Amino acid sequence: MDCKHEAIHLMHIYLDGDISKEDEKKLSQHLEQCPDCQKHFHELKRTITLIKSAAEPKEAPEGFTDRVMQNLPTEKKRVKYMR
Amino acid sequence: MDNIIREKIKKVKKGDQSAFEDIVVLFQSKIYQHCYRMLGNAHEAEDVAQEAFIRAYVNIHSYDDSRKFSTWLYRIATNLSIDRLRKRKPDYFLDAEIKGTDGLDMYSQLATDARLPEEEVQGMELEKMIYQEIANLPPIYRSIITLRYLEEFSLKEISEIMDLPLGTVKTRIHRGREALRKKLRYV
Repeated sequence: MDCKHEAIHLMHIYLDGDISKEDEKKLSQHLEQCPDCQKHFHELKRTITLIKSAAEPKEAPEGFTDRVMQNLPTEKKRVKYMR
Repeated sequence: MDNIIREKIKKVKKGDQSAFEDIVVLFQSKIYQHCYRMLGNAHEAEDVAQEAFIRAYVNIHSYDDSRKFSTWLYRIATNLSIDRLRKRKPDYFLDAEIKGTDGLDMYSQLATDARLPEEEVQGMELEKMIYQEIANLPPIYRSIITLRYLEEFSLKEISEIMDLPLGTVKTRIHRGREALRKKLRYV
């Protein structure tokens, strides 16, 4: 299997959850005999774990909704009435 | 939950501002968090998230009820965040395709090992560093990686939010993962 094109492409398809049984078998067979691809695959999976670990939740600041409501354009009906 | 939102939107379309207030309360933290992750600071995140809700209100009649409201709202917030990033620094050209290269863009041509990653890693908090590397991606990649891995949307949902074909989302997520792998392998 061509590492650069086929194997790495299959790794990404695997990571997207789109891989077929057949391709998954092909990939795992290749990984068993190719240390470079094994390393690449490990790095990709670790990258995802790292990105996910940075997902610290953020709450909207106090008064956020009030500020949105204050800045909404005036309702059309009222504009008409005032004219 | 979806039914409650649908009812609220109906009222908003009839001009009921208090129904819109309920919508803002429901989504404020998610949208603010998304903007924060896109922009990396509280001030701009508040600014853009505020604008996203105001635009949603003003354009509520262009929202198609048969689609998910949250997707529509995320789309507005994502587009505004991307606009803001593009105004901030002119790195968006990285996303432009190079003529005659069959979809290759400047981004895939970047020399990824140009600097010494070990030096940068030292003295930096891990989480900060990960954010920094996501922030260094061109805006479109940044939003796709954020939506996928920090906010856990499916690829299909991302294609709806970004208004991009599913295949394009996949290609970009593959490239984004590769770019981050090269940056984070030394961590």
